[in-house]
Amino acid sequence: MNKLDVRGMACPLPVVQVKRALESAQGELHVLLDDGAPRENVKRFAQGRGYQVHEEQLEDGFAFTITGPGATAAREATPAPAVAAGPTVMLIGSDRMGDGPEELGRLLMKNFIMTLLDMSELPDRIFFVNTGVLLAAEGSEVVETLNELGNRGVEVLSCGICLDFFKKKETLAAGGVTNMFTIAETMLAARSVVRL
Amino acid sequence: MIKDGDFVAIFNSIHRVMEAERLLKDKQLKILLIPAPRALAADCGLAIRYAEDVRGEVEEALAAAGLLPRELYRKNGDSFVKIGEDE
Repeated sequence: MNKLDVRGMACPLPVVQVKRALESAQGELHVLLDDGAPRENVKRFAQGRGYQVHEEQLEDGFAFTITGPGATAAREATPAPAVAAGPTVMLIGSDRMGDGPEELGRLLMKNFIMTLLDMSELPDRIFFVNTGVLLAAEGSEVVETLNELGNRGVEVLSCGICLDFFKKKETLAAGGVTNMFTIAETMLAARSVVRL
Repeated sequence: MIKDGDFVAIFNSIHRVMEAERLLKDKQLKILLIPAPRALAADCGLAIRYAEDVRGEVEEALAAAGLLPRELYRKNGDSFVKIGEDE
């Protein structure tokens, strides 16, 4: 039996932890979590991926039993597709999209990130490097969107060196901090890398 | 991204929507340039979102600058109500 305790964790960590556990778990997953946003986000995430969620109220939070007939049975019933395993990674290396006027580039990047919320397939991880980290820092207009992506199971990670360079380490407002080792390792193990 | 009761202003060109965003931000009004919802046709694919509490100031500023939107909608549950037709 797989057990996970995400009580006391701030969003989007509960979803990220549950996502990782579901990817590696066999059979049922039992999760202890806080009421409020963690409960709602984990439930929405799991059900959105075809899992069934049975919830039980406890004195200090909720206990979820997550079973995956949708995902697990479908995987067992059909032959495995001929694609490599590994996460889908998006690498955002700028706060602008494409070459051209700065203002247009920034607008396009902002628009692109907000549009991700309408997509049925999302990347597993988004890495922000160079000026891309500015998108995840305080004052960015896509902070709310990035946090919502986090709630849907996308790991949002910014390069620590870059945050340090732009003096934004203290004002990171969405996702977490990562290093080049993790970025390189994840990209090399990825099923696909979308580079912007 | 768009809460119930929020307004969504649709413009007919990228230049007008960018100009409107710049104008409203200069006035420190709480607005956000967003991808236009799929349900609403927008030539440039962008819209400006704002809440009821700044509606008066936003629309006054846009009118004074000759930048009124082509269409204005209000989010009502799962749908958008066109302002001027049903209000």
